[in-house]
Amino acid sequence: MNDSFSKQPDRSGFSRRSLLKLLGAGSGALALLSEGLRAALPQRPPERLQTFTGPGANPHWNSVGPFFTEPQKDPLILLTDRPVQLETPRHFLGSAFTPNSEFYVRWHLDELPNVVDLSAWRLRIEGNVEKPFSLSMADLMKRFKPVSIAAANQCSGNSRSRFQPRVAGGQWGNGAMGNALWTGVPLKELLDAAGVKSGSVQVQFDGLDQGKGPEGLGSHKFLKSLDLNNPVLAECLVAYTMNGEPLPLLNGFPTRLVVPGYFATYWVKSLAHIRVLDKPDENFWMKTGYRVPDTPRGTTTPEEIKAGTVKTIPVGKMPVRSFLISPDGSTKIPEEMPVTLRGIAFSGFGRVTKVEISTNDKVWREASLGEDYGQYSFRTWDISWTPPRPGRYSILVRATDEKGNIQPDEGVWNPGGYLWNKIEREEFVVGTAT
Amino acid sequence: MSRVATMKYLSAFILAACFGLLPLAAQTAHDETQLGVYTSGDYDGIAQTEPRGLRPGAVYSVDAYPLDAPRLAAGDGRELVASYCNTCHSTRYITMQSPLPAATWDAEVNKMVKTFGQPIPPDAVAKIIAYLQSHYTPETRKE
Repeated sequence: MNDSFSKQPDRSGFSRRSLLKLLGAGSGALALLSEGLRAALPQRPPERLQTFTGPGANPHWNSVGPFFTEPQKDPLILLTDRPVQLETPRHFLGSAFTPNSEFYVRWHLDELPNVVDLSAWRLRIEGNVEKPFSLSMADLMKRFKPVSIAAANQCSGNSRSRFQPRVAGGQWGNGAMGNALWTGVPLKELLDAAGVKSGSVQVQFDGLDQGKGPEGLGSHKFLKSLDLNNPVLAECLVAYTMNGEPLPLLNGFPTRLVVPGYFATYWVKSLAHIRVLDKPDENFWMKTGYRVPDTPRGTTTPEEIKAGTVKTIPVGKMPVRSFLISPDGSTKIPEEMPVTLRGIAFSGFGRVTKVEISTNDKVWREASLGEDYGQYSFRTWDISWTPPRPGRYSILVRATDEKGNIQPDEGVWNPGGYLWNKIEREEFVVGTAT
Repeated sequence: MSRVATMKYLSAFILAACFGLLPLAAQTAHDETQLGVYTSGDYDGIAQTEPRGLRPGAVYSVDAYPLDAPRLAAGDGRELVASYCNTCHSTRYITMQSPLPAATWDAEVNKMVKTFGQPIPPDAVAKIIAYLQSHYTPETRKE
């Protein structure tokens, strides 16, 4: 036989070469595959992620629960089904505005609204005021000039699963946050219309939701209050749209309080009562829950907590944070291929003025900032990165706000699992290109 | 696919099967790649849901929120946990946690009774704490 003959198809339609290859398919031909090729592809399904992490820190960007579909939502990461707590997957957080159907969800009490009849629903402004009154949705929309604000909403316990030692509570990864354009009525206009009586100290927010616990306890009502002399009141909105749409029920339809720069615990959902108080709110969610050590960065130690020496204050503004959203490290990058690193940053203390990344050389390089939607909004950033040679890379990202607050490379610890804002890092594997 | 090509694939499959050599990956003229690798496994899809029928009027609603009870570790006290803890929240509140120290479980259950007012008889409290400590601490948690 000669080569020219071997290339002729035989009567069955196979070339000799292809027949040999075929016969060798199971063993011979596979043996021809390089070690690297074979190792790249184990012949089995990928392992499922274990649905809890610990006692070490959660090493994943998000929490580890299954994807789960709730009404008006795309599949999000399930923390708990009753009451509902859902985390937004990382890749939905790369844009300045988080879509409503991907926006994270966190309720405290299990009787949350499935149905709201707007013919009966009223927002009530009451308590220590001259003229208590109530408003229908039509009143809210027509009697007041709508105001919009872009504002990031972040759970106080976002990234709680990073804590060491771990603390009890929702084991959020980084996805208990989102940014939206909120539109509604300024809280101040409602308070002014009612006439706050002198001697008033706080304003309390009360939603439609309730729990099965006894009246008067935190297991029955989730209530939050802000001091009347807090400057943030001038920026608060009673929002009836979110990104130009009605709020999903899980995010607080029909109205939700927006407290720009503050953690989401104050952003009471399905808001029904705005109540002016003549003495400080002592309900569980103010007096016991959502409190942080009155120390720099709200950090303390388990020993100090045990000793009972830690003074606490209600959680407040969100410290500056930044996140690398994509690429997410799950894909290898060839050396010398320019890739665009993208993410978001925000701060409750002032506009984000700088986002920097560093790689293995530990040099901070400034990223370009995206459009400025206001000081409380997510700000997108991007920067091109060309990995110079193969290997493992650790990419760090940190943001600075206009008050000069800069993300530190140290975590915090407090028993509530609040205020995490350590510099984020992502590991990348860079391969050869030749 | 042409008839000849179909025949070719079929014969290839039969030939390979005869030799007990069902290929794991397709053959290719390119040595630098593996092609057509599939595997069967226990993959779940997430079902899409029917759009809701909407009616005009002032009532705005969504469907019932779906429950997805986790598997709790088998052992004494599981039924007490499933009944008492489930009153206010699903037992995913337990399985979602990181493994917690025994003292933390003690404090958590006592918080439910003393702070949140769940009326659990003292002997049941003790059994619930013992169950959580037996299955959900760093030393004891298996699943």
